[in-house]
Amino acid sequence: MRRYEATDEILKAIGDELVICNIGHPSQEIFKLRDRPENFYMFGSMGLSSSIGLGVAMAQDRKVIALDGDGSVTMNMGTLATIGLVRPKNYMLIIIDNKAYGSTGFQRSFTADNLRLEDVATGSGVEKVVVITEQDQIEPTISGLLKEDGPHVVVIKCEPGMPEGIGVIPIDGIAVRNRFMEAAKSDG
Amino acid sequence: MSTEAAVKSNSPAGQLYERVRNHGVDFFVSVPCSLLGEVIEILETDEDVTYTPVTREEEGIGILAGAYLAGRRPAIVMQNSGYGNIVNAVCSLTNYYNIPIVMLVSHRGSAGERIDAQVPMGDAVQGVMEASGVKCISVESPGDLDSVDEGIDWAITNEKSIAFLFPFSFWQDAESYVPEHR
Repeated sequence: MRRYEATDEILKAIGDELVICNIGHPSQEIFKLRDRPENFYMFGSMGLSSSIGLGVAMAQDRKVIALDGDGSVTMNMGTLATIGLVRPKNYMLIIIDNKAYGSTGFQRSFTADNLRLEDVATGSGVEKVVVITEQDQIEPTISGLLKEDGPHVVVIKCEPGMPEGIGVIPIDGIAVRNRFMEAAKSDG
Repeated sequence: MSTEAAVKSNSPAGQLYERVRNHGVDFFVSVPCSLLGEVIEILETDEDVTYTPVTREEEGIGILAGAYLAGRRPAIVMQNSGYGNIVNAVCSLTNYYNIPIVMLVSHRGSAGERIDAQVPMGDAVQGVMEASGVKCISVESPGDLDSVDEGIDWAITNEKSIAFLFPFSFWQDAESYVPEHR
């Protein structure tokens, strides 16, 4: 299972949640699999998907999912401390852990060696930390967790790599922003 | 308690905070600075706003961007050294997506600084702000707080971030307020 297959399973579990999509190939894969106004695509600021999602969750009541990667979370590891402090009930962080910096050429990341982000999340005071290793467990697990109060941190263990032919997102940043803000105004 | 109750004195910090709240700013993050102690104490007790401390200023910009996307009016409270930690987030997130952030920045390294290591970033910060597309206004004393009103209006109208620098002179101006630490 690569990030693309894992993402496809995650998106099957998602209903009307607001979704923050990590910079680079992850956003491009989500756009190809299931574009929707409730998706906010990051075109810059590597590391901040979890933080943007946390801000959206703190600011309103709808459920928010931040789709992030192991390299990005490692770059902003303090985010786990803040999530553990704020503990928003409407927040889920999903870390797709493919042990690599995918968008820059799949260089090995820290989780390929010494780092266990699930342990950092637990050590940050997040009580509901779930690790998924099997593709067929992703959709049922996330569907179940979304029916509970959060915060949740879900770590999905994947292999590096991605399919051929994933293109850039043909919408500019302001359009992504505007339609997301409009979607976030409603009660979902 | 309410904003009105949380602001206990007419100190520089109290005056500044009331001005900012009067513009509907309702979502704050902070990283500590000794000059900002009273502002952070107010934030910890004001239940009319959403507030969290953050581990690093860059994380704070991400959280505030999310808050704006969800319809809130966000501000960061930090020391000028923290601006060095947010330049990429400002350029590729908040500037790129037209997300206005109000930045309330204590200015270490300004006149009165006793730690010389604070001076290089103190000298650089205005240039770094301008080079990264953030309008910067230095507020030398509480008597100059009208510039905060004008600046926040401009930022909201134009969907651009704005930074207010508060040097030592701002915090030392009021007779009733003597900072415990520098």
